[in-house]
Amino acid sequence: MDITLFLQQFLNGLSIGSIYAIFALGYTLVYSILGIINLAHGAIFTLGAYFTYALMGGNFGFNGLLANATLPIKLPFAIALILASTLAGLVGVVMERVAFQPLRRQGSDPLLTVVSSLGVGVVIVNLIQYLVGAESYTYPANTYGNLPPAINFGTPENPIPIRSVQVVIFAVSVVIVAILTYFINRTKYGKAMQAIAEDPTTASLLGINSDRFIILTFFISSFLAGLAGTLVASSVSIAGPYFGIAFGLRGLAVIVLGGLGSIPGAVVGGLVIGLVEAFVPSEFSGYKDAVAFGILFIMLLVRPQGLLGRRFIQKV
Amino acid sequence: MNNAIAQTTALLSTCALLLTGCGGGGGSVANSSDSTTNNTTTNTTQTSTTSGAIPIGIALAQTSNVALLGQEGFVGARIAEKYFNSKGGINGTPIKLVTQDTSGDEAGAINAFQTLINKDKVVGIVGPTLSQQAFSADPIAERAKVPVIGASNTANGIPEIGDYVARVSAPVSIVAPNSLKAALKQNPQIKKVAVFYAQNDAFNKSETEIFQKAVKEQGLELVTVQKFQTTDTDFQAQATNALNLKPDLVIISGLAADGGNLVRQLRELGYKGIIIGGNGLNTPNVLSVCKALCDGVLIAQAYSPEYPGEINKVFRQTYIEQYKKEPAQFTGQAFAAVQVYVEALKELDKKTKISTLPLDKLRTELNKQILAGKYDTPLGEIAFTPVGDVIQKEFYVAQIKMDKDGNTGKFVFIK
Repeated sequence: MDITLFLQQFLNGLSIGSIYAIFALGYTLVYSILGIINLAHGAIFTLGAYFTYALMGGNFGFNGLLANATLPIKLPFAIALILASTLAGLVGVVMERVAFQPLRRQGSDPLLTVVSSLGVGVVIVNLIQYLVGAESYTYPANTYGNLPPAINFGTPENPIPIRSVQVVIFAVSVVIVAILTYFINRTKYGKAMQAIAEDPTTASLLGINSDRFIILTFFISSFLAGLAGTLVASSVSIAGPYFGIAFGLRGLAVIVLGGLGSIPGAVVGGLVIGLVEAFVPSEFSGYKDAVAFGILFIMLLVRPQGLLGRRFIQKV
Repeated sequence: MNNAIAQTTALLSTCALLLTGCGGGGGSVANSSDSTTNNTTTNTTQTSTTSGAIPIGIALAQTSNVALLGQEGFVGARIAEKYFNSKGGINGTPIKLVTQDTSGDEAGAINAFQTLINKDKVVGIVGPTLSQQAFSADPIAERAKVPVIGASNTANGIPEIGDYVARVSAPVSIVAPNSLKAALKQNPQIKKVAVFYAQNDAFNKSETEIFQKAVKEQGLELVTVQKFQTTDTDFQAQATNALNLKPDLVIISGLAADGGNLVRQLRELGYKGIIIGGNGLNTPNVLSVCKALCDGVLIAQAYSPEYPGEINKVFRQTYIEQYKKEPAQFTGQAFAAVQVYVEALKELDKKTKISTLPLDKLRTELNKQILAGKYDTPLGEIAFTPVGDVIQKEFYVAQIKMDKDGNTGKFVFIK
């Protein structure tokens, strides 16, 4: 492999890896607080993308129950993105109240919560299909203004093109990780969330309202999912209601690799999976998924706590 | 905790298989006859519903990630039902479409077929959506002696499943090479070709083999074959791998979402040569994926909205009035499949009143009549070979032309 090709695939890996990372952040946040995997995260990701589409275009597409229904407003991309992510966050809160809280109150096995979240995810996906159909939708061509389609990181003789939208996603991922890290480690709310993650009972005794912070966690997690969904859709279009499913599965590989519950781990895991996929030889390019999940299985066997996770300690 | 993660991973792997819809399935052989249960009770009930209409089964995908293709078919079948009933149905008796969701997998197709055959007592079935579903579900109909017309099954070997299996969807081996000839006509300097295909889809694997064979027959150099999955969205690695080899032509065998995305990403990364899309990209839905960047893509078609036949004009106009866009190939083919049933039933009714025939006898006679007839459909004039494959006169190559706004466009028939 010559240096140009190596650099090309390295940058390809970083760009796709940053998408996985931004997706996995919300996953890992819920896990770090509640110790559960929210399999509806992929569906919320999809929902965020559709919300942005509707808010930007002022309509819900041309199929399904909402075909040709219109909204009274058409918003610019940046405002639609924030509003759609907020709506996704609110859906996450409703989901927590409906699918997670009742099981938590009953002290159910975590696996039942996983199944419950899977059920919610499937319902959301099918609801999307019922309401807006199975078509693919793409944001307008001028979503990012006059940004060129690709940026050349090489020379005119040896071009290394990266799609501009991927560069934007990478930059946003870095900013989101910085904000989230600051929020978790430096603010009162973030520290309260950490306290709940450490020991919910003691946190309650110290006057921290666990229920309120669990809602906040789900809101932030779903907000991030909606944001990631929009950013990815701006890069690759909304490939139908099942759009988020593949990302949901990949996101799981990312957080296991990075370390369950670790925010830096989600970032590192995402970038590692992205880079490994980019370097899969072209004759095996259709087997990227197998590579990602192969890494997951190996990691489970060799280092169950992941790259940056904490070792599991069984209390006896 | 370890246990929980391990359990979750196992569960998730199962979910992956459940949720990824049209996975796997080389689909090169029919299932063995003992692979599924089959109720072949002889039925001597009257051939009509309580409303007196003649039931025709529509087994297409309404859910899963194959739903988009299924929906295209449903729309065509519904337009046909309304149109032919407005023309008097079967010599005065209306038809009634009975729909069953096949979802995106083989099990769903088998369930849909069994329900239509044994519970809904249909005279024949249109479907299923995917070729790989057909290899599993068609043998059910074959053993029950129920005619099946595939309206979107283009893989090799479909009609050979059995005597009761036919299709109006022309095999990819006939359709695909036309677009390559058109590309060479547009640019005789083409030397190097890069091929991309979705390896998890039986139809696309079948199609790419046809394309690759055609490339070699034309004396062109196949510089790379890049694979992907229909569920993939990011193709930057494959695209840059291929573009480094400086191809003059790119051929894509995928579905609308993945194929459209690949077109978009190739163009954004600076590819300026001709792109040929396979049959999976032959749908207006691809336009909403790559938008302005779809412009210029060549696609071989078994259906053209611009075909000047009278019935196509009516069909196209009805569709545009309802959906504000041009009909897709699968929509036209589903319309044609229902039309074949209607016209075959009409012919049969002239010979023997079909209301007097027991259902099993009607199904058998209907199958014979389908294969014997000629039909002027939106696809052009079609007939069937003795084995049930479509004989179609008209094939087309279309080029996507996007409007100035980059949001809308159409397939322009290349003469």
